Amino acid sequence: MVPARRLARDPPRDAWALGALAGRLAELSGPGGGSCLSPAFALVWDAQRQGEPAAWIATAGGTFFPPDAADVGVDLAALAVVRAPDARRALRAAGRLVQSGGFGLVVLDLGRAPVPVPDQARLAGLADRHRVAGVCLTRKSPEAPSLGPRVSVRAEAVWERAGPGRFRCRVQTLKDRLGPAGRASAEVLRGPDGLR
Amino acid sequence: MDRTACVDLPALPLQVLLLGRPGWASGPAAVVGRGRIRWANRAARRAGVRPGTGHAAAVAACPALRAAPVAAAEIATARGRALAVLRGFSPAVEPAGGAAGTFWLDATGLERLYGSVDRWAREVAGAVEALGLRARIAVGFTRFGAWAAARAGLGRGRVVFADPGQEGAAVGRVPLARLGLAPGLTTTLERLGITTVAAFAALPAGGVRERFGPEALRLHRLATGRAWAPLVPPPDTALPVAAARFDHPEDRTDRLLFRIKERLDPLLRQMAGRGEAVAELRLGLGPGREERIRPAAPACDGRRLLDLVRLRLEAAAPAGPVEELRLTAVPVRRQPVQVELFAARPRRDPDAAARALARVRAELGNGAVVRAVLRDAHLPEARFAWEPLDGPLPGPRPRAVGMRPVVRRLLDRPVPAPEAARAPTVAGPFEVSGGWWHREVRREYRFVRGPAGLWWVFRAGGRWYRHGEGP
Repeated sequence: MVPARRLARDPPRDAWALGALAGRLAELSGPGGGSCLSPAFALVWDAQRQGEPAAWIATAGGTFFPPDAADVGVDLAALAVVRAPDARRALRAAGRLVQSGGFGLVVLDLGRAPVPVPDQARLAGLADRHRVAGVCLTRKSPEAPSLGPRVSVRAEAVWERAGPGRFRCRVQTLKDRLGPAGRASAEVLRGPDGLR
Repeated sequence: MDRTACVDLPALPLQVLLLGRPGWASGPAAVVGRGRIRWANRAARRAGVRPGTGHAAAVAACPALRAAPVAAAEIATARGRALAVLRGFSPAVEPAGGAAGTFWLDATGLERLYGSVDRWAREVAGAVEALGLRARIAVGFTRFGAWAAARAGLGRGRVVFADPGQEGAAVGRVPLARLGLAPGLTTTLERLGITTVAAFAALPAGGVRERFGPEALRLHRLATGRAWAPLVPPPDTALPVAAARFDHPEDRTDRLLFRIKERLDPLLRQMAGRGEAVAELRLGLGPGREERIRPAAPACDGRRLLDLVRLRLEAAAPAGPVEELRLTAVPVRRQPVQVELFAARPRRDPDAAARALARVRAELGNGAVVRAVLRDAHLPEARFAWEPLDGPLPGPRPRAVGMRPVVRRLLDRPVPAPEAARAPTVAGPFEVSGGWWHREVRREYRFVRGPAGLWWVFRAGGRWYRHGEGP
């Protein structure tokens, strides 16, 4: 039996693209604190390019370095950033933004914080209803389980050196309810100034 | 028939001086400015103190003289208080330019509210005198007539003319010396035997300009009725406020919200009547506690504003029972929205997004919804700032770049990381310094291999810190 949703949608060439994630709750994980930021900002840039408003929700401790995000080409003036004191309030804020239908992409930078299943269900339902890509960035190894059953697609950011001052970031799908796991997309990025 | 009234606060700087020093009123007192007497009370004038006299000379003439300067701010405050009171008696109040204590009021039709124009004038004068200020009021039919009658103190400071003819006849007899004109003009006219308003008005207009200058011509045109200008009241800059003190302090959020709604609704109706919307609502919940709530866009929707208030109170409930409440609305002019028939609609509703951000802001605090702005600096934390995001998001304009850079994570604060000293260095050191104009900071940055990716570390003062993380 083939789900109707799969028939209604052309299989995306790239599993980690805004079009493939619209209407779904996704998780992007990596071992380090900076593992997921670059592919997440690739999504932000893609959303902005398509005219979709984007929001970034961060919890206390640290967040993306804005000069790097600006160098990616992201329009920082059009990126709403919510600085929540803890994960619980970050989830509430995410729910409000997704529910408004005014955003095409909402990124939740959670780190190691868990997401209770009821919150996952609510976010997933709202994302589906309003065709919003809801992306949770988590810090964990690929062997660790995903946030929960309502995560529709989970990917892992894998990094390796690609020459002097160059890094290859591969986003590998670990789980996808609407397609096969194991697909990957890769991009070569330049390191920070001075890094060789 | 239109009625124009004039309220004059004679010698306002002197009144302000004596208001602040009531003990001086019984003796000779004066206002000084730049070493010269500017205003003198009757006792001082009797003792030979005249405006324009040097302060030292005045004291020599009158050793008992008490004199002091009066700040422009004090005079402005007194004018402001008088203006606020007069606004309660007329829909249009125009203060005269400069520091004079003269106001014109539109008195048309007010006899229906007060029973008679005389009663209205009595109440106006009484209200101003309740501020501690002496006032003269004249109600006439022309701006000049009312002004001249008030300045001259006709009717012992309170006169109501029954018809334009009476006004003209009474004002015609007013001596020019009592109008407070430029001394040179008054003296010149007196030498020519022109001592009253009627005599002045009888002069040919062309000759007035040629002989006495443009200012005299302007006065002549007013006196002869050839110049007319409608009253132009200044905009009311006072913020709309509603306040309440509770007999029983409120400690429950739902009841407090109800109290707030009771005060908010009339405030919003008042603002809507003036064509204004709320840009910011300030909620005072007793001494030392004020919440500032900003809607997504200036609004007059009480339900939406109350919802934002509820979110703020639920997120941060008052520490104790609330005994007093003060609502202050910061208004803006409502902009009419032009409906376009074939306007291109964005895929997403920006207003819905802005409202959601406003709700998040109400819940988490005004500093929680921000955007990043870049700054020209050297230290990483100084290269950007978080700017509060108010209003709808602009349409995004991303740039296409050749090879994208790695995006690093920056910690809110550098964290001590002594282990970084032993970690293998991948790149660096790079010396970065900044803040030399305040307190110079020097750091030696490196990228080292951390347990799960690159660490962005620095050494300062012999100690290692982790400032961020890379891939």
